[in-house]
Amino acid sequence: MKDEDTEGSKILGEDDLSNKIQRLAAQITERHPERLPCFVGIHTRGVTVAKRVRAALGESGNNVPLGTLDISFYRDDLDHRRANPVVQASEIPFEIEGAEIIIFDDVLYTGRTIRAAIDGLLNYGRPSRIELAVIIDRGNRELPIQPDYSGETIITKRLDRIRVCFSEHDGEDSISLISAS
Amino acid sequence: MIEPRKDLLQIADLSREEIEHLLAAAQPFKELFRRSVKKVPTLQGKTVLSLFYEPSTRTSSSFEVAAKRLSADVTNLAVATSSVVKGESVLDTVDTLQAMRADYIIIRHKRAGIPNLVAHHTGAAVINAGDGFHAHPTQALLDASTLHDVFGGSDFSGRRVLIVGDILHSRVARSTSCILTKLGADVGVIGPGTLVPEHRPAEMKKFSDFEQAFAWKPDVIYLLRVQFERQGEQFFPSPGEYHSVYGLTEERLDRVRDEGVWVMHPGPVNRGVELADSVMSYERCLINQQVENGIAARMAVLYWLKPQLETPA
Amino acid sequence: MSNMILFKDASIASAADKKLEVADVLIEDGRIKGAAPGLEVEAGVKVVEARGKVLLPGLFDLHVHLREPGQTGKEDISTGSQAAINGGVTGIVAMPNTSPAIDSGGLVRSVMDIAKRNARIPVYTTGCITKDRAGREMTPIAGMKSAGAVMLTDDGSPVCNPQLLRRAMEYAREFDLPLASHCETMELSGQGAMNEGRVSYQMGIPGIPAISEEICIARDIQIAEYTGAHLHIQHVTTARGMEIIRRAKNDGVHVTCEVAPHHLIFNEEHVIDYDTHFKMNPPLRTREDNERLVAGLIEGVFDVIATDHAPHTDFEKRQQDFASAPFGITGLETALPSLFHYFIKPGVFGWDLLVERYAAQPRRILKLEEVSVTEGSSADLVLFDPKGSTTFSRDFMRSKAVNTPFLDQTLDGRVDMVLCNGEILLERDVD
Repeated sequence: MKDEDTEGSKILGEDDLSNKIQRLAAQITERHPERLPCFVGIHTRGVTVAKRVRAALGESGNNVPLGTLDISFYRDDLDHRRANPVVQASEIPFEIEGAEIIIFDDVLYTGRTIRAAIDGLLNYGRPSRIELAVIIDRGNRELPIQPDYSGETIITKRLDRIRVCFSEHDGEDSISLISAS
Repeated sequence: MIEPRKDLLQIADLSREEIEHLLAAAQPFKELFRRSVKKVPTLQGKTVLSLFYEPSTRTSSSFEVAAKRLSADVTNLAVATSSVVKGESVLDTVDTLQAMRADYIIIRHKRAGIPNLVAHHTGAAVINAGDGFHAHPTQALLDASTLHDVFGGSDFSGRRVLIVGDILHSRVARSTSCILTKLGADVGVIGPGTLVPEHRPAEMKKFSDFEQAFAWKPDVIYLLRVQFERQGEQFFPSPGEYHSVYGLTEERLDRVRDEGVWVMHPGPVNRGVELADSVMSYERCLINQQVENGIAARMAVLYWLKPQLETPA
Repeated sequence: MSNMILFKDASIASAADKKLEVADVLIEDGRIKGAAPGLEVEAGVKVVEARGKVLLPGLFDLHVHLREPGQTGKEDISTGSQAAINGGVTGIVAMPNTSPAIDSGGLVRSVMDIAKRNARIPVYTTGCITKDRAGREMTPIAGMKSAGAVMLTDDGSPVCNPQLLRRAMEYAREFDLPLASHCETMELSGQGAMNEGRVSYQMGIPGIPAISEEICIARDIQIAEYTGAHLHIQHVTTARGMEIIRRAKNDGVHVTCEVAPHHLIFNEEHVIDYDTHFKMNPPLRTREDNERLVAGLIEGVFDVIATDHAPHTDFEKRQQDFASAPFGITGLETALPSLFHYFIKPGVFGWDLLVERYAAQPRRILKLEEVSVTEGSSADLVLFDPKGSTTFSRDFMRSKAVNTPFLDQTLDGRVDMVLCNGEILLERDVD
């Protein structure tokens, strides 16, 4: 949900975002004291989140395998779209079979993207466990999917939009809410 | 965003942007082959019907694998074995398929224009798997995809491709030369005078013999399949003479090897006619890659096209 | 019986004059009683306000396929003649490639009988040169002539054997019957379905090379010259073929020739997307051929315009692929509006050429009575509105067939009224 025109109100600025990332890293370390799971980021911004969290882990993050997943093939709404989305290659540079995995995305909304990501991962093999980490949980779930790690929960309406900007893609770090009026 | 089409009937319809989009779209499908589960659910619940009025194992199985890897339900209608089928039977068959609500129809026929006729007649997405001498768009795409991997991109400017053989009767020559030209390549041709038509596009330069052709320094030599006799008409005196004048002989292969030229062929191959045996084991022979890329290219096409079926009342 | 009709202030088209004189034309008892400005008439005469409209003689088409007997799913003599009237044509000559072919006096007679019963305009018929058009045995030419055949032709096919053609010409010459040739060399045409050229290459459709027609034109002309027969070359499509005929005419050979409107208007580039409404034999050629044929028509190389009206069922044309579909398009209803739309209105040529080539000369070749918009002539007339338009919808057509590239198209100009022997056969409402 990226909107180029309207401004909206800022939920998280640059510093806030950085804090949330640190918090996610801390929670993950706490939950996995022995051994960190593998990270898989959902294209495109989920990959950025995964990379930043891994960086925030410091030295222990260096050995964490990082994969990327394009979920376009697994979407359940292809019939309702005018054109199928452009697919980027998925890259899973580790063995899925038996692995512990954390899926990363920027915003959790209806849950359909995550369902598609789980489907995609299972196509590679059978992981022993999958967890979910997101920066923003904006509610309005349509499937029974909940995050294991989340930076912030905000209540939104269906027609509201969340704009996520990362300096790697958009020049600045910020997350804004554009209310439907 | 590249708007989807309903049908893929001929390369001539596609813009350069659409072609590049399809070539890029084939890449994730190539990656899919390295996974343990090579299927994705994208076309789950969709019906793909395959009508091959001309027999062909490699193309029809390539399409079947492509559709199945997208989780579509594929049915091959066994029409190839019956005797000459006229146009009206094609449309009668299509009407039956309409009743079955086919989403995709893949059709190969020996008469040009049949896929166009079918496409006008149905809301299903129609893919031309080869119609007479006219077009074979998915072959052209897999050829371009193979060269995309070899050249490292879809900009073929400055590249030279020499097409050898029966241009007149070849839908592959028409479609592949068209896609190569759209991507910026220079296309040259060489073949018997009876089989290289005067009415070909002006950009296709004709060489009178291999000496001249080699002097042009092609990057790729694309060999076409050659048939000795067609419907009682003779286009060249004998397969032996064809091989010595226009074939990729052992001697010419040495030159090709020295200059690092890539060799392609749409298959099936006539050993001893278009090429000498040892061409098949030449390191820069791309025939196997062509076959492999065929599945990915066809998956990209199935992924991109959108049927226009009416929603049931 | 006095049927008097007065056309007021009509612009008269004549073969003799490029300019259209404005005059009143009075019809009585099937003939033109007077043609001059300011005619006075008594009350009770039907007056047709014709200001701004063109009055021309009824057109005459030397080359139509009526499909009767045996192929009446496509057309029959009744519907074919109604189609003619719809297009301003008041006389037609039927081709003999029916089922069975018109290759005997008896069959000629039966066609003439059906025409007398079912057609409101004169319908003439040709007879075959060879039995069943098989190219092997000569037909009973004398018998066909006495039954009423006006011309001999194997149209649809050439006469492949030059010796047979020569004998047929020598024999027919004595009966003063013109021999019309469909010029084609079958081996060169092969499986071709359109002109062999750039477009046929791109579409992967086997082509019919121009030389297939041109070689046969040259051959038939030489045989005609050798035998002294009157040869009529049908549907000429290439500039080169036209030049061969021009040279022969200059040399004094008794050869006449015809061109169809579609070969002046359309070319191979129109065969896009495998539309069978552009498939006929001989095929559409190149744009250059269009231009040179039009120039040749203006220069007088072509004696007549003839449509080669070739009706086929919707199923045959629309439901088959290009190579399988039969050759031919209709032409009777579209000829006059299309010639007006593409040539007369833009000033490429005038009404005088149209009248000469599509009304006067065709009748002259068959030695029929001359028809013109002059006092004393038979009242075979067409009233044409240059400011109107014609949409060739299925409802508009009187032919059974709608296989025309003009289907659902609108052209400038409209046939408003058609008379034959002073009888009104068509009168459209003025809107």
